[in-house]
Amino acid sequence: MNGTKYANAVGAVRVMENTLLSKNDIEQLINSKGRAERESIIASKSGSSSGETLVSVWEMLHEYAPDCKELEILLYRNDFHNLKAVLKAVISNREPSQYYISPSNAELSVLVDAISRKDYSLLPEYMQKAAEEAYELVTNTLDGQLSDSLIDKASMEAMQKSSAEFGGEFMQKYSQLITACADIKTAYRCSLLNKSAQFMENAICGSSDLDKEQLVKAALGGTESLFAFLEITPYSNGAAFLKESAAQYEKWCDDVIMELAETARMQAFGSEPLAAYFIAKEAEIKNLRILSVCKEFGADKETITERMRKLYV
Amino acid sequence: MTNGLVLALIGAALAALLAGIGSAKGVSLVGEAASGVVSVDPSKFSKVLLLELLPGTQGLYGLIAAMFILIRTNVLSGNAAELTVQQGLGFLAASLPIAIVGLISGIMQGRTAAAGVSITAKKPDHNGKAIIMAAMVETYAILALLISVLMILNIGV
Repeated sequence: MNGTKYANAVGAVRVMENTLLSKNDIEQLINSKGRAERESIIASKSGSSSGETLVSVWEMLHEYAPDCKELEILLYRNDFHNLKAVLKAVISNREPSQYYISPSNAELSVLVDAISRKDYSLLPEYMQKAAEEAYELVTNTLDGQLSDSLIDKASMEAMQKSSAEFGGEFMQKYSQLITACADIKTAYRCSLLNKSAQFMENAICGSSDLDKEQLVKAALGGTESLFAFLEITPYSNGAAFLKESAAQYEKWCDDVIMELAETARMQAFGSEPLAAYFIAKEAEIKNLRILSVCKEFGADKETITERMRKLYV
Repeated sequence: MTNGLVLALIGAALAALLAGIGSAKGVSLVGEAASGVVSVDPSKFSKVLLLELLPGTQGLYGLIAAMFILIRTNVLSGNAAELTVQQGLGFLAASLPIAIVGLISGIMQGRTAAAGVSITAKKPDHNGKAIIMAAMVETYAILALLISVLMILNIGV
């Protein structure tokens, strides 16, 4: 019975989707007077607190679908971020735990062991080569930016490779979108900072719908040339937001990922509804964090509303 | 025991076996989805149970057809009829509609009902729609049972 995998997990996730914050809930939260009122709105909806983390969501998904390798791709970005943090911490004798992001596939102790003992075989296979290269690079050049860009690129390459190997159409599209959003941002920054073609080549990953060579060429010509190139790609809307501000572009990136997640709402089986729920929770937690910070700094309702990410429900 | 009777018994076995496999697969799939729902919200048990029961009927239809064959051939009374090969083939052919349609419709109804579990999970008030959609698949199992029974009853013994 192909295509009926994870029926149990999908059933559970469908119930849990009822506890996701809706548009009305977000409006209520925006209009709320203080932290206590916000907490009470969140608790009445989901029975949880604003302190709910993605770790508990991940643990729950993993409990229902322990053999779903495809879902692990969602954590690759955290894995590679943690690799950057541990690499720097180990080299400068600092404590890496404060920079560590959870949930992740590679645990902190494993990362520390692998880097400090230079035993990269301890790491998941998709991280081994990047970890070794980044370590060599940062110890030889002492250039943290270079090793960061190498790791960021390796993260996107790993996502694309794994999703092509064992991911479905949904995960392939997800990897493609994440890569394109990051590549556009990198190309824009490189363009602003007049970075060399070599630097851009090393930092930009490229994907099937955003050609690396063309993107580098456009970025070398300046921001106007970059925007002109993006106009003829599927990411022209994103370019328009990037022209406005980096914050608006970030929001657009989160929203297109959510639009992809919405396609899984009609699916009864498979890993897609599980991945979509994780993405939805990620967006919800981000919204609550933005809301909380905005409220703390006394931002007006329009500003908060503008910054709210698209919701799954 | 004649070759004809062996063929008739194979028919009875196929009806019970294939339709039963279809039901088992269908019920297990809905059961998986329903367990997921109940593990998070136990109050939805009665609603998802209805959906889980639906693909179970094909197994019963297979059993009915098999029983009719056993009755018609007097196997149950312990005085089995001396059937010719043609008569045996007739019973075997008669068992095929419910055997094959039971197998396929049981699995397909399971898929539909498991998808319906998602409706119940998200919108419990619309549970009836999920049941109706899954019940539509049942039609073809009933038609197949009807044909099988009519054939079994009209084979001259």
